[in-house]
Amino acid sequence: MSVSDVGAEKRIFLRKASGLIRTAGLGDTFIYNLGVVSIGLGVGSMLYYGPAFYPQGDLIWGCVIAGVAMALISFGFITWTITLPRSGGIYVFGSRILPPALALTMSLVEITAWLFYCAIAAYWIVILALAPMFSALNLLTGNQTFLTISQTMLEPWATFLIGAAILLISQVVLSFGMRFYLTLNKWVFILAMASTVLLIVTLAMSTREQFITNLNALVGPSLGVPDAYNAIIASGKEKGWGEPGVDVWQTILVSNWPFLPLIGAAFSIAIGGEIKSVGKSQSVGMLGAVLVATVAWIITVYLAYQVFGFEFLGTAVFNVLSGNGGLTTPTDPAISLLTGILTLSPIITVLTSLGLALWMWMWIPAMHTFGVRAIVAWAFDRVAPAPIGRISETYHTPLVAITVTTIVNLIFLALFVFTPWFSKIVILIEAAVLAWSVVLAAGIFFPYLRPQLYEKSPLANKTVFGLPIMSVGCFLGFIAAQFYFWTLFFDPNAAGHDPTQVMIVVGVFVLGLVFYYVMKMIRRSQGIDVTLAFKEIPIE
Amino acid sequence: MFWRKKDKNADGEVKMFFASDLHGSNVCFKKFVSSAKFYGADVLVLGGDLTGKAVIPIAEQQNGTFLAFQHGESVQINGKSEVDDFVKRQGNIGFYPAVMSESEYQGLRADPDAQAELFKRLVLERVREWAVFAEEKLKGTDIPLVALPGNDDFHEIDEILTRAPHFDFHEMQVCDFKGGYQMLYCGGSTPTPWDTEREYTEEQYVSRFAELIPQVKDMSRCIFNVHVPPLGTALDACPKLDKNLQVVYEMGLPAQVHAGCQTLTDIIKEHQPLLGLHGHIHEGRAKINIGKTICINPGSVYPEGILQGAMITLQHGQVTQANLMQG
Repeated sequence: MSVSDVGAEKRIFLRKASGLIRTAGLGDTFIYNLGVVSIGLGVGSMLYYGPAFYPQGDLIWGCVIAGVAMALISFGFITWTITLPRSGGIYVFGSRILPPALALTMSLVEITAWLFYCAIAAYWIVILALAPMFSALNLLTGNQTFLTISQTMLEPWATFLIGAAILLISQVVLSFGMRFYLTLNKWVFILAMASTVLLIVTLAMSTREQFITNLNALVGPSLGVPDAYNAIIASGKEKGWGEPGVDVWQTILVSNWPFLPLIGAAFSIAIGGEIKSVGKSQSVGMLGAVLVATVAWIITVYLAYQVFGFEFLGTAVFNVLSGNGGLTTPTDPAISLLTGILTLSPIITVLTSLGLALWMWMWIPAMHTFGVRAIVAWAFDRVAPAPIGRISETYHTPLVAITVTTIVNLIFLALFVFTPWFSKIVILIEAAVLAWSVVLAAGIFFPYLRPQLYEKSPLANKTVFGLPIMSVGCFLGFIAAQFYFWTLFFDPNAAGHDPTQVMIVVGVFVLGLVFYYVMKMIRRSQGIDVTLAFKEIPIE
Repeated sequence: MFWRKKDKNADGEVKMFFASDLHGSNVCFKKFVSSAKFYGADVLVLGGDLTGKAVIPIAEQQNGTFLAFQHGESVQINGKSEVDDFVKRQGNIGFYPAVMSESEYQGLRADPDAQAELFKRLVLERVREWAVFAEEKLKGTDIPLVALPGNDDFHEIDEILTRAPHFDFHEMQVCDFKGGYQMLYCGGSTPTPWDTEREYTEEQYVSRFAELIPQVKDMSRCIFNVHVPPLGTALDACPKLDKNLQVVYEMGLPAQVHAGCQTLTDIIKEHQPLLGLHGHIHEGRAKINIGKTICINPGSVYPEGILQGAMITLQHGQVTQANLMQG
């Protein structure tokens, strides 16, 4: 045996012994979270929906509000993951303090929402990145084949098939294991970041006049107006797009759009068991992702407003989404199409469009992984069928769980494409935020209700105004999550609360409870009490 | 109870709770012993690596306070109750706290041999305490606590645990087990980057199994309690380390290696025992099949005070239930 003193400041004698090695460092955690935040997707969705739906909303302040709220939520989750540094997300946290049925329900609600996000991302890759890219190439080159491709992609069956292929690629990537996925993820991240930098540089070096001239030249003839830019704005206003201005409530509502992708900044709670120096890595990983994404969005939104113009962005999209027959661009005026028109460069158009697609792609395996890990954990706890937890001998991955979640993804995609339920199902995001707030609320009381677990936390001796730091962090996170639950609740564009939507939320929660009690009954018939899976063994 | 009590007396049924790699964690060992009642197990099986890895000096300062190290930073401890609380918490995460004067601490810092001596004394003291605890809690029951050594365990623990009344400690043996089964005990591991106490080369494992296999009467009723997991499976995947024990990165990602035993994989494929119980690789928590043999590594997160284990039911020569769990 060898014993060593590792330094005067480290009063500990270690011997050489084997043990658990945590592999993800600070940089890995940061990239993981920033990848799930998806800066490009945020840019695309904010500039698309923001000016169109919220003419009096200040998107830049919206980014700040969302950033602060997500930082508070991250604070709460940081205290959770430092205290229980294990992989599995809120299921791990909830199962340590909530009743088993509630813990499983929160987990089911959460992963339903994240799998829904997978399908959204696959859908948006087609609608907001690829189809506009081909449309822009048609405008720039005059080649009708590009237009045909773009229009074909927007046919429901084609959208579904391309989206399904993207989701199946995620299945293949995850089947080969986390190492393969993370390696791929790093390259995708580098390319996507490069495209974002290219977009920002392009916008910074361009002018409004340049865009107007190009737009009028390319789009004007097909619209039959010489000044297409102002004609689109006038058409939008005539069709009901509100007058620009500044309104606090609309600014709060528009902040829903940066908040939705910012949710990804806390996703490293799913891999908490694999992160070394968990306190530092998770803190910098989560808060750093929030900060970098928020700053990048503020810069991009500011530049986009300068170049494209707030009124043009709002009216061009408004005329598309409201189906009012008003003037607009030949296909969806997504950021990729507008950048193509701005630069008149097919290469920049392709690069920025593919960059946007890569950002959206980063959501898919990340969210998919989250779902896979959660249902594997359920299987280990016997609240899901045992085959779900089975590890493939060939790939050493949970193939059954990956396949089950892929099927759910495909069902969600089909619902988007072939039914009008898209606007109804988006409410699941609200349900996930509610599930988060329940777990954060539980964290407020964790130091008091589970003192034996909390005393092992590195945070155990840290207090704020005499209160455990975990209670304070989770309280602030709970307030922020509740704020966004209600903000989403009152925003019909981002989520809403019509009776069908409320029924969907209630239905998912009820589904979770029913699922738990059915599995409990089945397991009881097999001689297994699943409630013991959630209980700490009492020392007698 | 986790398993139905009404089947308790069914013919040949054996319910065992298996855990491994507790590495000195008092709370995990106490949970392990308590799991017999909590889960309704007939047998407790411990898969090696009972001993911990770090001594935490608690050095008394001239002003009467104590200085120690916790969660990566120095901490000052005031008064006996705080010291007692600190000692308890360190023991629960598998460390060996040692109260001493500052001068004693400084002396130890400069003397690796004295550190080694202290380390061994504290490790063996805790093993004795565990033996007493198991005896107290399991006395009067017919629940045996079977165990074997892991690669990190000092050889000196063998004598203590072999003499301990309620421990059924074996190494390099094939013994009868409840329900008409047999258990094959093979501790230690293949070589690790840390050069730990009990390491054997593949060639040595070939010899070791050649000694054990002939003692097995019926392979279909034999349980392999082998600390090292089979090579090239989900049970033995872990990060690759360099000579300085730092994680090796390839393309920015931690390289993964398999750290199990090829000889064991070959033996299991060839002989198809009923069940394989393994530990060693804390990251390798999984249940797999190698042919007909079910192999389990419950993994270990002992520093969190959470006991990972597996609840297994044997009946009529079959594994009827095998579930990973944590409590």
